[in-house]
Amino acid sequence: MLRFLNLIAIVALIGSAVYAYTIKYQTSYRAEQIAKTKIEIKTESDAIAVLRAEWAYMTRPERLQQLADQYLVDVKPLEVKQLVSVQALPDKAARSDMIGSKLDQLGLGLSATPPVASPAQTTTQVSSASKTVTAPVTKSQAANQERKKP
Amino acid sequence: MTQEIHPAHAKADNARRTSRSWRQFFHYMFSTRLSASAPRMRFAALGFLMLYGAICGRLIYLGFKPDPATGRRAVAQAVSASRPDIVDRNGEVLASDVKVMSVFAEPRRLIDKDEATELLTAVLPDVDSRELRERLGARKGFVWVKREVTPHQRDEVFHLGLPGVGLIAENKRVYPNGPIGAHVLGFANIDNAGIAGIEKYIDGQGLADLHNMGFAAAPEDLKPVALSLDIRATHALRDELEKGVNHFKAKAGAAAIMDVNTGEVIALASLPDYDPNKPTEALDPNHINRMNVGVYEMGSTFKALTIAMALDSGKINLHSRLDATGALSFGRFKIHDYHAQNRALTVPEVFTYSSNVGTARMAMGQGVEKHKAFLRKMGQLTRMRTELPESAEPIVPRNWGELNTMTIAFGHGLAVAPLQAMMAVSALMNGGYMITPTFLKRSEEDAKSGVEQVIKAETSEAMRYLMRLNAEIGTAKKVDIDGYFVGGKTGTAEKVVNGHYSKTRLFTTFMAVAPSDKPKYLFLTIMDEPQGLPETGGYATAAYNSGYVTGQIIQRVGPIIGLAPRFDPPHEPFPLLAKLGYGMANVPATGGAKH
Repeated sequence: MLRFLNLIAIVALIGSAVYAYTIKYQTSYRAEQIAKTKIEIKTESDAIAVLRAEWAYMTRPERLQQLADQYLVDVKPLEVKQLVSVQALPDKAARSDMIGSKLDQLGLGLSATPPVASPAQTTTQVSSASKTVTAPVTKSQAANQERKKP
Repeated sequence: MTQEIHPAHAKADNARRTSRSWRQFFHYMFSTRLSASAPRMRFAALGFLMLYGAICGRLIYLGFKPDPATGRRAVAQAVSASRPDIVDRNGEVLASDVKVMSVFAEPRRLIDKDEATELLTAVLPDVDSRELRERLGARKGFVWVKREVTPHQRDEVFHLGLPGVGLIAENKRVYPNGPIGAHVLGFANIDNAGIAGIEKYIDGQGLADLHNMGFAAAPEDLKPVALSLDIRATHALRDELEKGVNHFKAKAGAAAIMDVNTGEVIALASLPDYDPNKPTEALDPNHINRMNVGVYEMGSTFKALTIAMALDSGKINLHSRLDATGALSFGRFKIHDYHAQNRALTVPEVFTYSSNVGTARMAMGQGVEKHKAFLRKMGQLTRMRTELPESAEPIVPRNWGELNTMTIAFGHGLAVAPLQAMMAVSALMNGGYMITPTFLKRSEEDAKSGVEQVIKAETSEAMRYLMRLNAEIGTAKKVDIDGYFVGGKTGTAEKVVNGHYSKTRLFTTFMAVAPSDKPKYLFLTIMDEPQGLPETGGYATAAYNSGYVTGQIIQRVGPIIGLAPRFDPPHEPFPLLAKLGYGMANVPATGGAKH
């Protein structure tokens, strides 16, 4: 019995020693990996710094202007008079699709189609159009409510 | 009670028993004869004393002994520190660190110094061999052999395999944009210490102290410093200025854009300038920052200050008339008008005709002391301090008499840094807030907290009206760019040559504000001795050169710095004036001066 216990103790000792050493070697291996990775990170971040500096150098306005002058001969800098306000834009042209107009003729037209008209009348027509757009919605809602009732 | 004592007795018995067994142990181990015990104790005490004495002595010895690691610390101190990146207001890189290799030697560890010299000079041909031998002979722990070597040289030095010769990575400052913004950035020397401009300012914020104490800041700990500059706007401004300076054959020129509400300098250029990557160029006295370091008589742009003073005092208003008939005599001096009208002029007319006589009369109406006090309040008599270490004291007349007040009223006789004048004019424009210019990004709240309001809001609006009027019908028509509602003022100062004002050598300035109703940006262009050209009719006054350049700058920079053009003139741009009964301010002006 005692001998058996001794045996177990020896095995346990060897086992724990092996385990301890594995842990130790793993630790130093990991430490090495960390050190290596740190160096890699440093190299990378240095490289990034160089690339950033190089990017800033390549995209410096002076160089871009030179290149633009060289290659974009037909393009000119934006002038203030090229900008226009939204109000100054012409009105949207009337939609001219055949199917839409046919549907209108048949009286099935979705009234969202802006009717052909002169700009002076636009506002009133837009408002009437919006009214007609809302109309079907209310109808369907009513239908839904009716369906729910029973 | 007895019940409680019993267990205690038992415990004491127990203790007595164990101590007896210990005593028996000692009895067996040592003789217990009392006479022999004392010397033995002393002997043991001596033994311990010596042991601890030796440990202490060793510790003290180690403490005084020169640290074997000092060599490393010397390296850490000698190596260029990393500096924070400098970026512009949009995050574009203006200055950054890159790593370069440098070769160093530790003379104490070199075995054969002559051989080392020979081998090193063979690899690094631009190192002087005699000088290197001297350096290696020095009794030092650390010397530089050559800094910033090429990758190829680095490999060769490495392959020499000399003991005591090493390579170390250093930081080198690079300025990718070259001369753009150079005067603001300044530069760093080979040790990466800031020598001028914002670079020096950054060192002043504690970076240099840290480095000298041996704490090398890791690059990732350093936050980038955001400047107020917009690098694209700065480039556009410099480009237009360069064209202008070349076209008008000026000796020098400078231009700047400032945000009137925050005091941020959005763009600044001073020509001729230098490339901060080649710091030796910066030492040329002709390459100074003319906006900040040069002081000049600002000419008629100073009239804005005089008129603001007179309007703010309430002594005159926009309807007041000032006699501008003929020249104004003072002793043997005579003050003339450049665009003489020879009649009584209203205040807006004084401004748009740029009447010297009218403004001189206005200043005289205030008196010398009030004039001085006002200019002091506007920061024109003392040195202006910004982040830039370079600055200049204004040149103020020593005995300031009535004649000085009369001439300073139209910008002669007081020399200030142009940026200082910009600070004053921006206070006239922004509603009266005296905001010191800054080169770092800041918000309007920060800028306006705790600043003094130097003039009334109404006066500020009146000044904006006058500037706008001047651009519509006065001398500043060159900057009336459609859509920006620009206001402006010209200034032409005659330079002092041999103690006299010269009629041919001019210093021209141009100040413009946009938009005039809700001021955002103040533009200033100055030119030193621009020449008259055939297309300007031979004139070299401010409107033809500085004014023209400012117009070009506004047109080009406007879209970059977010000036939205408006297609209809703003409705009622000057509401305060309208309330005060100056309805004419809100009606487009007609007539006026020729240019």
